[in-house]
Amino acid sequence: MRNHKLRALLTGSIAIVLVAAVAGTGLAAGGKKAAAGDTCLVTDVGGLNDRSFNQLANKGRLDGGKALGVKTSVLQSSKESDYIPNLLSCVQSGADLTIGVGFLMAEAVNTVATRFPSSKFAIIDYRFQDLAGKPANTRGILFREQEAGYLSGWLAIKTLMSQKKPLVIGAVGGFKIPPVDRYMAGYKAGAQAANPKAKVLLGYAQSFTDQSKCKELSLNHIAEGSQVEFGVAGSCGLGSLSAAKDKGLWGIGVDADQGYLGAHMLTSAVKRVDVGVSRTMKQAKTGTFKGFGNTIFSVRSGGIGLGKVSPKVPKAIIAAEKVLENKIRTGKVKGIPTEVK
Amino acid sequence: MSDLDQPPVGAPVDPSGLGPEVRQPWLERYDVAAKAGGLVAPVLTALLAFAVGGLVVLITTGKNPLATYRAIFEGAGFNWFLPWVQGTERQAAAFNMQQTLIITTTLVLTGLAVAFAFRCGLFNIGGQGQYITGAIFAVWIGSSFEGLNPFIHVVFAAVAGALCGALWAGIAGILKATVGAHEVISTIMLNWIAIWIGVFLFGLGGPLQNDRQEFVPVSNDIVEGAKLPVFWGDPVFQGLHIGFFVAIAGLIIYWLILSRTTLGYGVKAVGFNPEAARYGGINVPRNYFLAMAISGAFAGVAGAMDILGWQFRLGQDTVQQATIAFVGIAVALLGRNTAIGVALAALLFGGLLTGTSTRNLDPEIFRPELASNLTLLIQGLVVLFVGADVIVLWLMSRVRRRKPA
Repeated sequence: MRNHKLRALLTGSIAIVLVAAVAGTGLAAGGKKAAAGDTCLVTDVGGLNDRSFNQLANKGRLDGGKALGVKTSVLQSSKESDYIPNLLSCVQSGADLTIGVGFLMAEAVNTVATRFPSSKFAIIDYRFQDLAGKPANTRGILFREQEAGYLSGWLAIKTLMSQKKPLVIGAVGGFKIPPVDRYMAGYKAGAQAANPKAKVLLGYAQSFTDQSKCKELSLNHIAEGSQVEFGVAGSCGLGSLSAAKDKGLWGIGVDADQGYLGAHMLTSAVKRVDVGVSRTMKQAKTGTFKGFGNTIFSVRSGGIGLGKVSPKVPKAIIAAEKVLENKIRTGKVKGIPTEVK
Repeated sequence: MSDLDQPPVGAPVDPSGLGPEVRQPWLERYDVAAKAGGLVAPVLTALLAFAVGGLVVLITTGKNPLATYRAIFEGAGFNWFLPWVQGTERQAAAFNMQQTLIITTTLVLTGLAVAFAFRCGLFNIGGQGQYITGAIFAVWIGSSFEGLNPFIHVVFAAVAGALCGALWAGIAGILKATVGAHEVISTIMLNWIAIWIGVFLFGLGGPLQNDRQEFVPVSNDIVEGAKLPVFWGDPVFQGLHIGFFVAIAGLIIYWLILSRTTLGYGVKAVGFNPEAARYGGINVPRNYFLAMAISGAFAGVAGAMDILGWQFRLGQDTVQQATIAFVGIAVALLGRNTAIGVALAALLFGGLLTGTSTRNLDPEIFRPELASNLTLLIQGLVVLFVGADVIVLWLMSRVRRRKPA
């Protein structure tokens, strides 16, 4: 009995001393001290092997870490209840900048960013002003997808004109959400800028993952005469590209340069999430990072453009595409739509 | 095994404990052990799964698997129970333990949903669909009726979730009871119907899509009053909500129904042998329906607790990607369909799911791209060994046979 009491007393006093020591050094609240630019990336439930969004963001983290000489880490969320713990873990392990990938993480970023005003946060594909708490330490990373869509739609129609084929092209989106619609609206506008007679078929697969759904929609488009299929739906979009391949037609990739898929790839509408991440890291490192704002990446600022163009496309068209790209860069092409009507 | 249980030296050993006269074939012995709900076999099953998982870690990474298991143990917050863990370490442990228990809460309820049907001889694979319908109703009621008394609001949302889950599973129960449609098929189909109803409801232009952002396919947030109070940890950062006690109540109710009521007696009788039960005057179709409905109620409450406790909203992608109720099947299998077994198995899987999050594993050893696969691997091994736990029982009988010599 006496022994027990003694032990309890001992453990109790040790505990008090320890807590006091910890409280004294101020470790409890803030975690380790952050060096400017140290970055922690948190993926959404898509995971790091999604071959597009998360994977590109992670590439940006690695590139940025190498170029800037800062410490970086990545946390993968395997379920939704991981979002807040992962973001917290980033802040507490001493990250100066914490980046959430994709709009799925918006609420969690908002919660954590509001509580840690001295840390920096960024969220991809989400406007900071749409966050409920409008935290002053958070920056949105956005892209003008419509410009990449415009270029690829234009290139598709010009190529079909040179091949003397019917001017019908199609695009399959995942869900009708703003980034997807920006691609599709630009695609349509670009096609009609290349030739007003161009016909553009649009559809939504209601999935970002199920390839068979995208393939089915693309096969429908092809049955209606489509000569080029643009898959704007993450890994679902690979189904559209395989439909194009099966039928001996052109495919256009999305987000990453998907030219590796084969000779049927006309080009890809590229959204360099990696550039978005590494540039934001640079801002944090050099002290130019400002919360309460958005960085918008475009053809002009880099991060948006076309991937590798198929060698079967006539040189003249590729040259003309470069001219068009320059026009977009210098602001001579105005009013590319961002919404599909 | 105490000394008293040991047979006299030299006598034939009978691991079934039924008596010395027959040595049964081990398949039958397995049956007896399974029905006796022994604790040793599930524990050995889990240990075996961990051992094989450790071998995989050793072979693929060349690193000490014990260090990995220690990281999982601490990542799950189990070190919170160790009195010498103090200071910031204790804070971290408490936070991890809260995360583990949040998942455990869900797993207990989805595990009970599978276990209850099992006791009636039914295999409820529809836990996911019942969970989703429960969550849909909880989010709908939770985000409406602003200003309602918080207590009434929470109870209303939770009960609606339970009823909805019961109704959803009840469909499969009725089909089984009336036309004999196999519940495995019908519950799987009902899962997909629930998922696509959710996709429709929260999709763009859907009736339950939020009012704030027209392009985001997610529901409205539930109102403050409908959120479950957090009793351990920070309410802003996903502390442990009182749904934990609902799960414990669920375990008690499960045990009470099965071992202290006529209903439970009927359910178990049908589970053992429907023909004999019918001969004994038990209404078999009625029990099929009730067993499914009660199963569904457990899963529906699980969905409601997740919404009211920490999730607060339901999105199109969540509806499609959630798999937590499928883990409930593994929980019920490992827990041998007993209340205490389900509780322990849920804690094990909850700990695994939390402990193997990438934030808890050393990126030097586990590349982040691979880390979450470890959970699935051990989970798969557990299910595999549960399915094949005749192996475990055989090993046990070997050990026992050798002992007296």
